[in-house]
Amino acid sequence: MDKKTRTRVGRPEDPREGLEAVVALRRTLEALEAARVENALIAGWSWAKIAEVLGVSKQAVHKKHAKRIKARYPGEPPRRKGSRS
Amino acid sequence: MKLFRLTDRSRKSVEAAFKEARMLGHDSLGDEDLLLGILRAEEGIGAAALASLGVTLEDAREESEAMLSEALSSIGISIKEVHREAGDAFDMRLPDDRKIPYSSRAKDALVGARKEMLRLGDDYLGTEHVLLGILGNEDGAAVRMLGRLGVALEALEERMYELRGREAER
Repeated sequence: MDKKTRTRVGRPEDPREGLEAVVALRRTLEALEAARVENALIAGWSWAKIAEVLGVSKQAVHKKHAKRIKARYPGEPPRRKGSRS
Repeated sequence: MKLFRLTDRSRKSVEAAFKEARMLGHDSLGDEDLLLGILRAEEGIGAAALASLGVTLEDAREESEAMLSEALSSIGISIKEVHREAGDAFDMRLPDDRKIPYSSRAKDALVGARKEMLRLGDDYLGTEHVLLGILGNEDGAAVRMLGRLGVALEALEERMYELRGREAER
């Protein structure tokens, strides 16, 4: 394995490393978004409110996350109060 | 992607690779996932060769995670910190039913596997061919992962030929 030398953070010498960091970030971002949405629901936020802050449609955020959250909280939705949004 | 005459062992390994990829939050099947799949399925000469060189699934998963962590560090992000901030809800795993495509590296590895099969004059595509196909891409994540695990590629290849020889004698 070749030695990794970087000039400084944010400027990888090897383009492959730079691109792989993007992939790692994308995967982490997906997981972080899912976690933040879940936490917001637990805090009692509606899908509409979450969507508004994320800057996407309610349908989009619901489609992307509802299934996972349902699977994580079988039978008991994390959001206990409030009307359906 | 249409796969050709995979043995049951290779097919199981590829299926296991998809499971590993999802578990690690990979949104496509990488060549390193094919390697993890062989380790997970514990099938065929590929798996036997890896095991005999002391490569375990756990170690390989850890390396995969370490590579992700290092990639993030290179742009100033600490995965630990992200995890800590987001709490228990943070989970890199993708749902089991999420369809993910083959990456081009994984496709290349399987095309390479077929070439290895033909080169060796075999009429089945076993995990040893898949592993040889993976090793064909020196720039791939799997080869780097093996390097980090302290596996010499020549030793791994040699071990596979050895095990093939033994199997042929039976």
